[in-house]
Amino acid sequence: MPYRTHAIVTDKEKCVGCVTCSMACPTKAIRVRGNLAQADEELCIDCGTCMEVCRYDAMRPRTSSPADLKKFKHTVALPSLTLYAQFGKEFHPGQVLHALRRLGFDETYDISWMCEMVMGATDAYLSESTGPWPKISVTCPALVRLVQIRYPDLIPHLVPIETPRELAAKLRRRRVAAERGLDPAEIGMFFITPCTAIIHSIVAPVGLDASHLDGAFSIAELYGPLLKSMKEDAGSDPVDSVSVRGLRWAMAGGEISGMRNANSMTVRGLHDVIYVFDRIEAGTFQSVDFIEAYICPDGCVSGGLTVAGRYTAQRNLQEAYPLLGDQATVKEEKVRSLLREHFFDFEAEIRARPVRPLARDLREAIALKREKDALMERLPRKDCAACGAPDCETLADDIVRGKVQLSDCVFVRLEALEKERSAKQGGDHD
Amino acid sequence: MKPPNPANRPGGDEIKDEVLYSETFRIVGNDFEHGGEVATRVKAILKQLGFPTDTIRRLSIANFEAEMNVIMYADEGTLELAVLPNAVRVTVSDRGHGIPDIEWAMQEGHSTATPEMRARGFGAGLGLPNIRRNSDEFNIESTVGVGTILRYVVCANVTAGS
Repeated sequence: MPYRTHAIVTDKEKCVGCVTCSMACPTKAIRVRGNLAQADEELCIDCGTCMEVCRYDAMRPRTSSPADLKKFKHTVALPSLTLYAQFGKEFHPGQVLHALRRLGFDETYDISWMCEMVMGATDAYLSESTGPWPKISVTCPALVRLVQIRYPDLIPHLVPIETPRELAAKLRRRRVAAERGLDPAEIGMFFITPCTAIIHSIVAPVGLDASHLDGAFSIAELYGPLLKSMKEDAGSDPVDSVSVRGLRWAMAGGEISGMRNANSMTVRGLHDVIYVFDRIEAGTFQSVDFIEAYICPDGCVSGGLTVAGRYTAQRNLQEAYPLLGDQATVKEEKVRSLLREHFFDFEAEIRARPVRPLARDLREAIALKREKDALMERLPRKDCAACGAPDCETLADDIVRGKVQLSDCVFVRLEALEKERSAKQGGDHD
Repeated sequence: MKPPNPANRPGGDEIKDEVLYSETFRIVGNDFEHGGEVATRVKAILKQLGFPTDTIRRLSIANFEAEMNVIMYADEGTLELAVLPNAVRVTVSDRGHGIPDIEWAMQEGHSTATPEMRARGFGAGLGLPNIRRNSDEFNIESTVGVGTILRYVVCANVTAGS
């Protein structure tokens, strides 16, 4: 049931059937039918663009609810580093962790040190890898989905090291279970997420059989309650494990900033990702060892479920560094021993999910391609999206795949009406 | 100039020379701004037609190199895509200086690229060898002062691959 896995749902009450999201969708996944925007499950990468552009607040993230916490005997909140970046220097990361506990989690678990560990593991992986180059980071789950769908040939380029959030959840669950004598299933691990793509990665993980996380709350929904709590209670939790090097991971460029291998590149935002990845596919950029790439323009601080704008968030983070002290928290020895245990490894293979061809048989596909080209001649090429598809080419594609009809185009319909009318008028004169 | 290597072909099938679909794209010399666009368009067509990802990858690399060669060295040219029942044939013809010594140009590291081209990341002398490496049949003819015709074939068993 792939439908249930997607992280964004359309609110039927609020959606007016305008085509803003359909036109903005980077993978052309959305069609508007009967005044309702719906995403094609095969094409959606959960990037959250539709949510961002919707003027009617009709696209909602499928986050966990407070009731979900009650299903577990012990709950752990793992905040995205971007959560710390929401608050200015008047609120220390330790206060944020303290306030999270006050909201009802039994404990919090900082993942910044795990980010630092993964930087070390990635360095070790790069030094031993034999290619293909460049290697690509798997931090951004929307990016991984994009690779599966649009760049299946680049799957061997993905670094097969699990993300810090998953590794941290795996490690903490194991420890809590041992410390408290609980069944691992009785422990609830909840991520505090900056984006919808991570929510989807929990429900439908890639590189894993099952996520180590049990759900996610959005930064946006917790922001207000956290702020209120911090104003009421100035308490702070210990932050000796918080790694400033790891914290930088919240921003584009942060992942490579803590790595030894400097032959790397940061690619920011979907538009640039497509530009660069098209070229990687064509064999360029082979001299680069490592690429960190984000669908969002500045990395996680620009995620769709955040409150502070990405500029404010980056400034806030920079202000937090001196409060924490720039200590290295991770020992190289520890990284090495975990590497030997294969702690960082992917647990499952990443599968290609290429877009369906027009037909399975080559001759049939060519016939449909010709049909599509002919349709393009009949369509107005105004890309008005009034038909519900984002542009004329996508409509032509949908028509030859038998999903819709040419008469869905308002211009074609208008033309037909006019023809009918002039034929009638011609008849009257006779 | 190089005999086809039947070992590269899936199942050693004979390439059937029946053109099922063809399309010709124009390439303008020195038009770096649009460099790579033809290769991208061809890739989109091949994906729609359901070619295996490996075939598309090899063709994309070859097409990109061939397109950039026209942009860098010729006045103008065309890339003709021909879809055959079990292969894709690409013919890139250009009007330009031509290549005086093909043997020399076919060796890795040999390039006549200008410093400007090198500054753009080209001119490593890998273009033509890279096209040959990624194709199952490769043929090049060039006349100095007239132009170059490059023809390469990448085999694919579409039904088996999909």
